[in-house]
Amino acid sequence: MPLLPTSHAYLEQSALLLQAYPDTTRITTKYNFPSTRPSNSSRKQKSKPASTSAPTTTTETTPQAPPTTPLAYLTLKTYNPTTGICLKYRTNKAAEVGRLITSLGKLAAGASVAELGLSNPVPAAPAAADVEMADAPEDTSAGASTPVVPAAPAKGDAGGKGGKGKKKGGKGRR
Amino acid sequence: MPAPLSHDAFFTSLSDLLTKTSQKSRGSVTLTQKPLLHPTPDSSSKPSILIRATDGNTNAPNPKAHKVEKKKSSSKVKLSTVAAPEELDAFYARYAEVCKAGMTGLKKRDRKKGKAKAKGGAAKGVKA
Repeated sequence: MPLLPTSHAYLEQSALLLQAYPDTTRITTKYNFPSTRPSNSSRKQKSKPASTSAPTTTTETTPQAPPTTPLAYLTLKTYNPTTGICLKYRTNKAAEVGRLITSLGKLAAGASVAELGLSNPVPAAPAAADVEMADAPEDTSAGASTPVVPAAPAKGDAGGKGGKGKKKGGKGRR
Repeated sequence: MPAPLSHDAFFTSLSDLLTKTSQKSRGSVTLTQKPLLHPTPDSSSKPSILIRATDGNTNAPNPKAHKVEKKKSSSKVKLSTVAAPEELDAFYARYAEVCKAGMTGLKKRDRKKGKAKAKGGAAKGVKA
């Protein structure tokens, strides 16, 4: 489930995915606040009124931490269930919302990469290839290294014991 | 899933849902868009887009539920509407406006006002 670094890359990849599977691909936009820990929840609930109403802050209760509203996140996800391809983009900038939603509209209308109006198109194939390849080297290296690891200490132990014995013997004789 | 709403009703409810979530500073709103299949027989044209909005409230019993349920009595909010291909532009223009207006929990860009400045600074401190 790749998290794409820029909205540009996300929209571009999404356009390609939608072009390939226009009927089954769906786009989910999630606006969420990070879940708060129980220890923090009381503080954050107290800070809630401060955010909405006025500068009557709750500084006396939490002097070291000024009342904060937890930052929300906007996560965009393009998912195709038949192929299992999932593209994600995450932001917390309010400035991006309008542009992203407008772009989603263009995607919904079946816009191609060029029609999205994104400048400086980046070739999409390398990114996808990188993403797909990411798992393979890990697996092979892990598989190759595991047989080696148990073998090495055994050799080391045997060598160490032998060496000690010889050295002791040598010291004793001298 | 209840029947699709009209655009006006959908936007009103969505705006309400986003505002409530932003005010509570917790929870989530999930928006989904996908093509509405089995459309009218003239399927040569582009399909309509089905847009759904739900809150993150699950119906499963939550051990923390007694804390959470204040306004919503643990009933999941589900909204949906259908936008025909020819009205997509107008729909998404309004959609973007509603989202921009409702998603106030995101990081602000301009910090002209003192309040916004304090918020931004505090948010930075939390993040760092």
